[in-house]
Amino acid sequence: MAEPGHAGPGPARPPVRPPVRPPLTARHARLTAAVLLALAAVVTSAVSLDVSLTAFTEGAEDVGNLIDRMLPARLDEPGRIVDLAVETLLIAVLGTVLATVLSVPLAFLAARNTGPGRLVRTGARGVITFCRAVPDLVFAVLLVRAMGIGVLPGVLALGLHSVGMLGKVFAEAIEDSDPGPREAARATGAGRLQELAAGVLPQVVPAWISLFVYRIDINLRTSVVLGFVGAGGIGFALQDALRGLVYDRALGIVVVILVIIAGMELLSIGLRRLLLTRPVAGRAAGATAPRDTVRVTAPWSRERIARFGSAALLAAVTVHGLFALEIDPREVFTSLDDIADMAGRMLPPDFTAVGGALTTALLETLAIGVVATAAGVVLSIPLGLLAAHPVAPHPLVYWGARATILGVRAIPELVLAIVFVAAIGLGPLAGAAALAVGSVGFLGKLVADAAEEIDPGPLEAVRAVGGGWWQRLSTAVVPQVVPSLVGSSLYLLDVNIRASTVLGIVGAGGVGFLLFEAVRTLNFAFAGGIVLLVFVVVIVVERCSGWLRRQVR
Amino acid sequence: MSPVITTRALTRRFGGTTALDDVGLTVGEGELTVLLGLSGSGKSTLLRCLNGLLPASSGEIEVLGVRVDRARPGELRALRTRVGFVFQQFHLVGRLSCLENVLVGGLGRLRGPRYGVPTYPRAMRREALDHLERVGLADRAFQRADTLSGGQQQRVAIARTLMQRPALLLADEPVASLDPENARVVMDLLVQVCLEERMTVVCTLHQVDLALGWADRLIGLRQGVKVLDRAAAGLDRDAVMGVYRQVAPDAGPVGDRHG
Ligand SMILES: Nc1ncnc2c1ncn2[C@@H]1O[C@H](COP(=O)(O)OP(=O)(O)OP(=O)(O)O)[C@@H](O)[C@H]1O
Ligand SMILES: [Mg+2]
Repeated sequence: MAEPGHAGPGPARPPVRPPVRPPLTARHARLTAAVLLALAAVVTSAVSLDVSLTAFTEGAEDVGNLIDRMLPARLDEPGRIVDLAVETLLIAVLGTVLATVLSVPLAFLAARNTGPGRLVRTGARGVITFCRAVPDLVFAVLLVRAMGIGVLPGVLALGLHSVGMLGKVFAEAIEDSDPGPREAARATGAGRLQELAAGVLPQVVPAWISLFVYRIDINLRTSVVLGFVGAGGIGFALQDALRGLVYDRALGIVVVILVIIAGMELLSIGLRRLLLTRPVAGRAAGATAPRDTVRVTAPWSRERIARFGSAALLAAVTVHGLFALEIDPREVFTSLDDIADMAGRMLPPDFTAVGGALTTALLETLAIGVVATAAGVVLSIPLGLLAAHPVAPHPLVYWGARATILGVRAIPELVLAIVFVAAIGLGPLAGAAALAVGSVGFLGKLVADAAEEIDPGPLEAVRAVGGGWWQRLSTAVVPQVVPSLVGSSLYLLDVNIRASTVLGIVGAGGVGFLLFEAVRTLNFAFAGGIVLLVFVVVIVVERCSGWLRRQVR
Repeated sequence: MSPVITTRALTRRFGGTTALDDVGLTVGEGELTVLLGLSGSGKSTLLRCLNGLLPASSGEIEVLGVRVDRARPGELRALRTRVGFVFQQFHLVGRLSCLENVLVGGLGRLRGPRYGVPTYPRAMRREALDHLERVGLADRAFQRADTLSGGQQQRVAIARTLMQRPALLLADEPVASLDPENARVVMDLLVQVCLEERMTVVCTLHQVDLALGWADRLIGLRQGVKVLDRAAAGLDRDAVMGVYRQVAPDAGPVGDRHG
């Protein structure tokens, strides 16, 4: 018998057929395990929430009633509503500006390639993570308690929570920047700050602008519900109408909200186009400039005017906002005492005030997040893909899908939750349904953007071999969007778990109800315990999703 | 012998620029034709018009007996399965394994979408492995495509084309992003498989010496106008370099239009 591996001439053996199956690697095994685990989590969560379609069909009648009572929509005191709408917009802008101002230095301190040292870096990251892990409405509830009802707590809440996202992604943009220009700046003898400003800043600014615009969008959605907890804006009027069961007035307010959000969405699409499209190469204005005029500043090209105009507009809105909302920045410092006092009373945290109910509520919150994310993913993938040019078989399909996503995006989750609570009753199922529908607006857009940004090369290659629509989708588009799809879905899970912690405010289940009760009854130690738990859960989820994301890259 | 490619008065405009201006040419079976011309002269546009990736603005195109300019989408797809295309930037899906990228070349023979190597028939996987073997990359079959060097990636792309068993191969600067050594290896491979499979080839190249070495025939474009069309035999370097001369478009054509 020939020895295995025996080389050289020997007894003739049939040629060894190479394998035509991919070899099973450890990575595959880990991925499979992760997928199975995720499926198990979804099923367990769904069972624990008693998800059943009958709940929805039975709720149809209640929805019918509700819609009956909502129509026709009414706009009482239009002047006041418009004032509140403007206030809401200004809160969103000011909150985002505040977050940006705080995030830029934090990002430089937190980024691996610019942070001054390990200790500072870890500290900066800790601050960013903390801000992200505490939901904006929780910040708002706590700050309203400490500083009193008003607009300022709303702005601060949005600003602080947004630092959690902006600081993180700003830092990631810095870490992704090309080290070459920095080195070049250093080689000319530039100081440390000069080096960062000349070598890093120009590279990251486009990404930052896009993130800023994106965050204003998100914050606008939150700012319309800040009023529910007394932190200013149009949510106050909505809450009022819902409490009084004046549903036609509530619908009128919701319509106003949809209009501002849709307007903002259009504005942000326009801004992105204006600010982030690159000028066509080779057609730079300088190329045709007459030789005899020597300019020392860039010519006023369309791009430069757009940039300059947007910056001026933002500055004007910010200043106007400070005056219109009668915000005195000094107030932040004068109320630091109260904030510190309240924070002090949250320590040491107390987990025992309601016994086992806390664990139950926390698990319920997790289950809501998981189920909502799973349903959201299932709904968003087809819709998002159809809303991308490389996939949409027809412009009508494209615009239909885009419009659906935009429409859903315009409705804040809390408003959806109110509708579902009316339809299927108080409880976690209403919360899960609201978040699932809301997810479509969020994930559908990310899927569409990812599919728009794929490398068109493989698409053309599949077309060149005669591949059809389905084949192009499965071999050229899907493989390219999978990493970002997984990333966005996990991010959605993060977002939904955080959102599900505040759904309790309208009776849609989860730990939020306990939290708001604790704050309302001034049991700050228990509130501290809940905030700490939410914090831990969010961190754990983030870590897990980070690991998963690395596996599929 | 009927020609594999015939174009008449082929014109393609992009807004104000005319990328192809009244181009007429024929390519016979088994011929190895090289397209030359400055950057922006319309070479890629011509190749992409030939398999319908770009619709022509006007003019007639007939490829392998199919009127590309009039073909319905289904006919166009059927034609493309018989026409190989090699891209300068390879156009591999970086995240997928080499084998799966090669299998993409067989999509025209299958119906419906595929995702993942196991979704392709076993016989096809064998065939794909054989093609990878032929380009010398059998051992990389399950490695991600984006972990290969440029030359290796282009070889995977060639294996993908072989998977189509094409009658005609269009190659758009197949070696422009490769170093000279890899360029030679890839060109050798390309010409060798074309000879073995008796494929008709139209290839754009920037290296005049490579072109003179390989081609049966040279076609030159300048600003979308055909300015050279001759058998390579007996053509010298200077005559070819004329294609690259920056002259006014109304200057006479280099060489003889009827090759
Ligand atoms: N999709 C497009 N939109 C607008 N103009 C285009 C487009 N594709 C090509 N062109 C223009 O058509 C002309 C011919 O381009 P083409 O890519 O065919 O040139 P090429 O000879 O392949 O050049 P290179 O050697 O650089 O690849 C150029 O002027 C180019 O700017
Ligand atoms: Mg080209």
